[in-house]
Amino acid sequence: MMRGRTDRLHAQASDYFASEESPVVKRTDYYWLRLVGTGVWFLVFGLVTFVLGFVVLPVIRLVTANRLRRQHRSRAVLGAGMRSFVHSVDALRFIDFEFIGRERLGRPGQLIVANHPTLIDVCFLLGFAPTATCIVKASHFRNLVTRGAVIGAGYIPNAPTEDMIHAAEAALREGETLLMFPEGTRTVPGKPLMMQRGAANVALRAARVLTPVYISCEPSTLSKNLPWYRIPPSRPKWTLRVGDDIDLAAYRDAPVPIASRRLHADLAGLFAGANTVRD
Amino acid sequence: MKSRQEIFDIVRRSLVELFELDEPVVVPEARFDDDLEIDSIDAVDLVDHLSRIFERRVSPRDFRSVRTVNDLIDCIDRLQTQ
Repeated sequence: MMRGRTDRLHAQASDYFASEESPVVKRTDYYWLRLVGTGVWFLVFGLVTFVLGFVVLPVIRLVTANRLRRQHRSRAVLGAGMRSFVHSVDALRFIDFEFIGRERLGRPGQLIVANHPTLIDVCFLLGFAPTATCIVKASHFRNLVTRGAVIGAGYIPNAPTEDMIHAAEAALREGETLLMFPEGTRTVPGKPLMMQRGAANVALRAARVLTPVYISCEPSTLSKNLPWYRIPPSRPKWTLRVGDDIDLAAYRDAPVPIASRRLHADLAGLFAGANTVRD
Repeated sequence: MKSRQEIFDIVRRSLVELFELDEPVVVPEARFDDDLEIDSIDAVDLVDHLSRIFERRVSPRDFRSVRTVNDLIDCIDRLQTQ
């Protein structure tokens, strides 16, 4: 089992290196500058996250007694940070991006579900819909760099399952916007999307509106099986497209476990379809 | 206080309603994961449903050791005497 996985990763890695070093793929768009720039920006990103989490958010905490207002202020600060990050790497021409329909994000009780091809997807989504709360990996609550930020913003850890579902349900009922990556982790490029049913379950428990966001990045970069310094030979472009709202009333005639299986299958179909169209 | 038979009936009815299982499949020895195909997200739905019926706030943590329908009945039986 473990062995097969390692072999597969090796195979993928050697595919990648082979394609990268073949003379056909030329390193363009100021490759070396982009490489150094990417490293510097990750460092800055980590530092800023740490400073926001351990200096700025505690100050907000001191001056804001109301929990919801405190979380919204904290999210506004983090959102501004992520938006600046996106705009700066865009301005420096490390990346290109296009975000279609972002004005439809951030409605009360809205559950946003997105696929997760790259490390920085969340920066686009929370950068441009900063009032939203988000389900994040439980390990970010232990990581020294990120814990101040995720606790201050009141983001929701993805484990244990029962706590995640109840916290997500409560947030939507309070009229918050919630962002979830149903895959739970980044997609391995070339593999089918493996979505978890939690998003469909949460949607049917409490969402007023369910909105998919389809994310793609060409050429692929910052994905699950690659370290940050394996940047693509040409400048990557992120395309984020906000899809049509999904009518939840159509699913609410059945008990949640049954309905969430149907919704889950439909969501998986939508995301798989969006990916084929792109290719 | 409900008898074990009453608890079993309620659990079976819940499983049939929530998961569209056939009643004969739900026997005390049935295992949730293998026989009934109830996963961790279903378990949250089931526990929420049962805690509404029994009017008790229970956490899925109370059900951590539950593997079979019989385990669940034991667990509810224990909780209602607490």
